[in-house]
Amino acid sequence: MSFVLRRLGFYLAAFFIAATINFILPRLMPGNPIDVLFAQQNTTLPPEARAALVETFGFAAGPLHEQYFAYLRSVFSGDLGYSIRFYPQTVNQVLSYALPWTIFLAGTATLLAFAVGSILGVFAAWRRGGTFDTIVTPLSLAIQAIPPVVIALVALFGFGVALRWLPTGYAFNPGLDPAWTLQYFGSVFYHGLMPVTTLMIVFVGGYLVTMRNNMIGQLGEDHVVMGTAKGLSENRVRFNYAARNAMLPSVTALGLTIGAILGGSLVTEVVFNYPGLGQTLFIGIVSRDYPLIQGQLLIMTLATLTANLVVDLVYVLLDPRLRKV
Amino acid sequence: MFETLKVFLRNKKAAVGLAIVLFYVAVAIFGPLLLQADPMQRVGRPHEAPNVDELLGTTRMGRDVFTQLIYGTRTSLAVGFFAGLVVVIIGTVLGITAGYFGGKVDEAINFATNVVLVIPQLPLLLVIAAFLGESSPLVIAMIIGVTSWAWGARITRAQTLTLRNREYILASELIGEPARRMIMVELLPNLLSIIGFNFIGSVTYTIITQATIEFLGLGNPMSISWGTMLYHAQNASAITVGAWWEVLVPALAVAGIGVGLSLLNFGVDEISNPRLRTLGTIAAAAKAQRKLDKQRLLQSQGAA
Repeated sequence: MSFVLRRLGFYLAAFFIAATINFILPRLMPGNPIDVLFAQQNTTLPPEARAALVETFGFAAGPLHEQYFAYLRSVFSGDLGYSIRFYPQTVNQVLSYALPWTIFLAGTATLLAFAVGSILGVFAAWRRGGTFDTIVTPLSLAIQAIPPVVIALVALFGFGVALRWLPTGYAFNPGLDPAWTLQYFGSVFYHGLMPVTTLMIVFVGGYLVTMRNNMIGQLGEDHVVMGTAKGLSENRVRFNYAARNAMLPSVTALGLTIGAILGGSLVTEVVFNYPGLGQTLFIGIVSRDYPLIQGQLLIMTLATLTANLVVDLVYVLLDPRLRKV
Repeated sequence: MFETLKVFLRNKKAAVGLAIVLFYVAVAIFGPLLLQADPMQRVGRPHEAPNVDELLGTTRMGRDVFTQLIYGTRTSLAVGFFAGLVVVIIGTVLGITAGYFGGKVDEAINFATNVVLVIPQLPLLLVIAAFLGESSPLVIAMIIGVTSWAWGARITRAQTLTLRNREYILASELIGEPARRMIMVELLPNLLSIIGFNFIGSVTYTIITQATIEFLGLGNPMSISWGTMLYHAQNASAITVGAWWEVLVPALAVAGIGVGLSLLNFGVDEISNPRLRTLGTIAAAAKAQRKLDKQRLLQSQGAA
């Protein structure tokens, strides 16, 4: 269990550092940080909201270290201040409306990409140099190098505008009310199909190649040769003997790519006009809503760290050696 | 040198990748010289479809997409290579320092590396870029450079650690070589493939990320690059009004260089790690090796 505790401590430190970056950045800008923070603000923000923001970001207090602690107190008590663009909503309210959609989008895409990529990688490695491997491996590498924004834009044009097969915006039909009905979930699925698929396609390749390369390394090992020599079925050797061990680096890779997938999801949402964090953030960027932009860094960091923690737990499940220490 | 190049080009993936990258570089260097046009100039009506005069059509502002593409290629590649260089320098220095000196230094650098790896990159870049205001391509290159070194530092450190325990390193230490010479002469040459790998990967990453940041509206809208082209197209709802050329042209340009660079990287990987090769490549390599052996045999016989 100490492995998980160590990781927890590390994640706490990482979050701390992300919060510190948020604290330092406005103070590094030339001029008065308060003015920077409200530079592009429209006059709609009432004085009391401004005062509340100043307090949240610790500008009110005296020396720098006191400001820092004041800011950390706000962050760790979950107060991210008011959104300038969406006033009177707080950053928390704005983000918590958008976050579930991003988690749905990025989460589904991650799981699908990881599952599909890893399984295809196992087969590509098993028949290394076969037709499947020769075509799929370079292809997945090539696709992996294409940014999500490009794939999303091309898909939007192809399936959304030219063919008119799939919707070009929103998470569900705006005429429907969110409810536990088949119609509502059907609409969510229909509207999510293109964003999830385009996001998934970008990341399948990476997992495929990682799995293939680990698997090739495993296939030369003695225990795999022994499994074959014992006369075990091909599937048993492939999955239980080789793939299970090859999974470990893949799971590490999964943890490391979560941040990238969340980033990709931001862009995909903007393209598909999907009501997640990315779309909200885009509006925030256009109107220079600094509290909102800063809030998204903390929320995204938190999401990434949580996902990494889950990956760590999966790691413990997969690698019995970690349970003993 | 020539022989190294031959080994390199024998790998089909590496050769194709190199050809694509060289083509882009040529366009970036010579394109604007040959074209001699102002990418911001209005040359026609808004949203003109590709025709004889405007090969790739016009934007909503009536600017020529082809001219913008050529000039944008120069900006995007320059940003990519510059930031790639920054990433490689920071990553290599930190990686070698951590791997070679070990102990407390290693712990500190390793901790910093892991933290940077786990904080999501794009959200962090967005916050920095938002505070810097309308960031020019150079500024974007700098911020990507200083936030993206962690991956390179990690692989360089790992490789340095394995080299660290080789006998020749221990031997040079016993002779009493100073640390500077150990790093520059003994370690660095053996890390070159990792550094090259890191560089190509970082260039790819930077080009993609720059396009993304600019697409999200954090770049300087007056500069011309693939990212700002996408941003303007998105702002003009180019796709919904059917002006596909405005979106597809920069999109395919980004995709093309990405594919070229990743093929190059994969090829290099295959050359340095023969187990990853596909069978055709293995056969080709074996054949070439036999030929090379024969040549060397003949040469040595000739010399003798």
